[in-house]
Amino acid sequence: MAMRELVTGGAACAVPGSSSSSNPLGALANALIGSSSKTQGRLNEIPASTSTASEGGQFYSEIDEHLRALPGSKFDQQLLHPNAQGSEFLRGFRSTDQNALAEAWNEVQLQRPPVSPQVDLYGRTSSPQTQPSFDGPPQRVLSSFLHSFVDSSHGGIPFLPTPLPLLGLSEGDKQCIRDRSSIMARHFFADKSEEFINAQVNALLLSLDIDNDVQGKRPLPGRFRELEDYWNESQGVLRHGPHAADGWVAEFSQQRAEPSNPDAWAHSFEQQHGANGWVSEFEQSQLASVDQMRGGSIASLATMEQTRMLAHTLAQNDDPKFQNSKFLQFVSKMSRGELIIDDNQVKPNTLSATGNWATEYQQQYNVTPMWADEFAPPSSKLCVIQLAHGPDRWINEFTTGKEQGSVNDQWVNEFSKLHMNDWVEEFGHQVGEGALGDSSTDWANAYDEFLNEQVSAKQQSDASRGVYIFSDMNPYVGHPNPLKEGQELFRKGLLSEAVLALEAEVLKNPDNAEGWRLLGIAHAENDDDQQAIAAMMRAHEADPTNLEVLLALGVSHTNELEQAAALKYLYGWLRYHPKFGTLAPPELSDSLYYADVARLFNEAAQMSPEDADVHIVLGVLYNLSREYDKAITSFQTALKLKPNDYSLWNKLGATQANSVQSADAIFAYQHALDLKPNYVRAWANMGISYANQGMYEESICYYVRALAMNPKADNAWQYLRISLSCASRSDMLEACDSRNLDVLQKEFPL
Amino acid sequence: MPIFKTPFNGYSVKFSPFFEHRLAVATAQNFGILGNGRIHVLDLAPSPTSHAVTELVAFDTADGVYDLAWSESHDSLLIAAVADGSVKLFDTALPPTQNPLRSFQEHSREVHSVDYNPTRRDSFLTASWDDTIKLWTVDRPTSVRTFKEHAYCVYSAAWNPRHADVFASASGDCTVRIWDVREPGSTMIIPAHEFEILSCDWNKYDECCLATASVDKSIRVWDVRNYRVPLSVLNGHGYAVRKVKFSPFRRSMMVSCSYDMTVCLWDYMVEDALVGRYDHHTEFAVGVDMSVLVEGLLASTGWDEMVYVWQHGTDPRAP
Repeated sequence: MAMRELVTGGAACAVPGSSSSSNPLGALANALIGSSSKTQGRLNEIPASTSTASEGGQFYSEIDEHLRALPGSKFDQQLLHPNAQGSEFLRGFRSTDQNALAEAWNEVQLQRPPVSPQVDLYGRTSSPQTQPSFDGPPQRVLSSFLHSFVDSSHGGIPFLPTPLPLLGLSEGDKQCIRDRSSIMARHFFADKSEEFINAQVNALLLSLDIDNDVQGKRPLPGRFRELEDYWNESQGVLRHGPHAADGWVAEFSQQRAEPSNPDAWAHSFEQQHGANGWVSEFEQSQLASVDQMRGGSIASLATMEQTRMLAHTLAQNDDPKFQNSKFLQFVSKMSRGELIIDDNQVKPNTLSATGNWATEYQQQYNVTPMWADEFAPPSSKLCVIQLAHGPDRWINEFTTGKEQGSVNDQWVNEFSKLHMNDWVEEFGHQVGEGALGDSSTDWANAYDEFLNEQVSAKQQSDASRGVYIFSDMNPYVGHPNPLKEGQELFRKGLLSEAVLALEAEVLKNPDNAEGWRLLGIAHAENDDDQQAIAAMMRAHEADPTNLEVLLALGVSHTNELEQAAALKYLYGWLRYHPKFGTLAPPELSDSLYYADVARLFNEAAQMSPEDADVHIVLGVLYNLSREYDKAITSFQTALKLKPNDYSLWNKLGATQANSVQSADAIFAYQHALDLKPNYVRAWANMGISYANQGMYEESICYYVRALAMNPKADNAWQYLRISLSCASRSDMLEACDSRNLDVLQKEFPL
Repeated sequence: MPIFKTPFNGYSVKFSPFFEHRLAVATAQNFGILGNGRIHVLDLAPSPTSHAVTELVAFDTADGVYDLAWSESHDSLLIAAVADGSVKLFDTALPPTQNPLRSFQEHSREVHSVDYNPTRRDSFLTASWDDTIKLWTVDRPTSVRTFKEHAYCVYSAAWNPRHADVFASASGDCTVRIWDVREPGSTMIIPAHEFEILSCDWNKYDECCLATASVDKSIRVWDVRNYRVPLSVLNGHGYAVRKVKFSPFRRSMMVSCSYDMTVCLWDYMVEDALVGRYDHHTEFAVGVDMSVLVEGLLASTGWDEMVYVWQHGTDPRAP
């Protein structure tokens, strides 16, 4: 009987009615730990059960398959029944799993002659956790081995949770969190539009940095489905029956058992994928593993981002019960990074941001089993290659950029050293030329992002939010007429100077709505939304009916994706508008729904289609609901009426950029800049649009230009840094970090 | 009244159709977003004066349990809808080590609800986020049929109490579909709400009467023979309505629970339809059931990890 059938229990092995399993291994397991005949008896009691003896045999084997296929399968528990006769034996075996594993590994690495099949058989039998892998792709075989090893170290625990995060979260779990919270969010976000939620999910997918196009749009497959499919495909010829991974196991055993035909696998693979198939697959798997590494922190960022949105929406409910909701606290803690998801557990995050990151880093990269797990994919492939004396081309490809020496040894060394830096370096050499660029830079970026996220999350949660922060050392304090001076400077486009003058004005006259308003506008144009909002809030306090203030606040909150606040101000705009005030019943302002506000503004637009402002507000509203096409139309209509409004051109550009029309956006920004050359926000936006199109060199110049005009635009500094990394200008990163504009301007003239 | 605290967040509670003192609770860790699940089988003290609750048995699962259903044919069998896409069969008479009896892994995404056929008593339905509904029997290793027409998550599927082959399904595609398992496709599509529909249930006394609960905060009652206009629209919940269930005793009574953390009782035939409101939960109330054996006996669970059992008209939190 072929090895494969022995291991997997093909149809030929069925022994009807002889035990709960037709699988010989299952039978062996039963012999060791006591038959599960009790279960069988129970099942037979079920009325309407029609299974005959022989069908039963077949049926139970399938049930077993099902059980095996479960993560953290209950099957384990059955096997670990404390009273069962064989459990002692199993435990003994488990404790030696580590050695077995090491041996298996060495065997694979050093191509030692296979140990006797008997031992192999026991090895698999004794470790039930590995069984799920039989239904999975090959890399799960190894990682399940490793998991069973990890799990065995804390034996005696009655329930084994799902073997989870390798590095942070597995793909499946990321998907899980993402899908479930987004589906649930749809229930809480009932009042938001579908587009809004979709856009949120898409943004999330982007931030997850993984396969947003593949996994996001079609109905989501089961965990590992893709790998499975891919594997099945590659196994096409060799596969027998439905057990894809069994094919692999069989094939693998065959390779070991029949050294006379070592190239068969490689040949068959070449037939299917061409000679470079392995190379590309290997590279892919490497890329994938790096993605996953970054995924560790990115996933948590994404989770934070997502939960923050949720928390925010929930927090808007004034009901004290909601404010006390533990669920609300849970999501808001998660959104602030106070809780981290680690190893299937949600843990409080007690350390400071930096310390926390370091810890996570440690956890993710220094814990041996996890680390080794991560390497299961490339290594499991490697071992097949080596056994098969894979095509030389592959070896060559693999060794380029490396020193001479046996591939074997290098891999063994690498895998045994368990040292992150070495690996990163090694990896950098191997993939350095690839799309990834310098992986250590990516790391640094991811880290920066993480810190920024933390900082901004903190800022958001601070009660100080919305408090205007004045510059110290203001030369305009004591100026006889700072408002006039500020207006003049603003008109000239000297925004940073204007900010100082206007600050002097509002320090002198804190109730001057116009001073605050202009200050807010200056900040907005200077690309500082937080300060802009703070200033506008003060203007709003001073004059609650000022239309320009209301519109500006609506726009700023839209930029910050705060729908409820944005709606409040936009609705206020309508309410206090002399022409449209009648449209807006004051009682509506208590419970504003997007649809209502949009409807009112559409009415207003019909009422006076010549009013550019209404079209502008409509455009902002459509941005809020992510209906960018409609928003673009609205802004274009407004521009026909107000062609010289530079901020309107900028709004159009930003909308186009958001709807992935970055090329059009550049045209619109150019218009804005023609009208107002010192429009910092448009310069920065221009840079973003170029970066979005992959034109990083160009984007750098625009960012530098924007920063030259307003060095305080923190966002732009971050964008600049990203573009520098992407354009492989790491030589300028230091100048960027030290905010040395002289150097940057010289290097990147526009 | 009896109160039980679960370690995980409650997702569903169901009275046993065989024992008036028994109920099962489905729970999930971390609000069902990530983590394990656990099923608790609880026994209430037989004397009405004692409010003790004892846990008969608990089963762990590798992913959250979103719903469960008691078998109508065997008093110890439970079917669980698990978030990892599996459907598991548990025997409460057996220790956890010998459970689950079976696990059916066909749904490719979270299974959100399960309903046991009350008339044929041999089959059950599962509704899943993979947009399908599957029909199963306990003795077959694979599903009997898959119903794939919905365009988005199916949150609930419920058998008609009279017609053994007819069921309704509620989906996030904003429709309710009526199916006859003997027919190839759905026999009726009701665009019942403008928003996602999270739950549906048949009137136990009127085979044409169906209630739907939606994210739009309303419950609507329909006559499937004339589905253009709802028989009744019940407003009163402040957030999405998570579950709706008709009374097994009173023709026009139903109970609902919502993300607004309340459990509401309704009589859809009277003008002031809201008969009772219980706000004993401190988190989203997501599971509610009415006993078919004891009139007026209610049970609810929620994300506050609490299970309450109480008689209609009394305070669930009363000691």
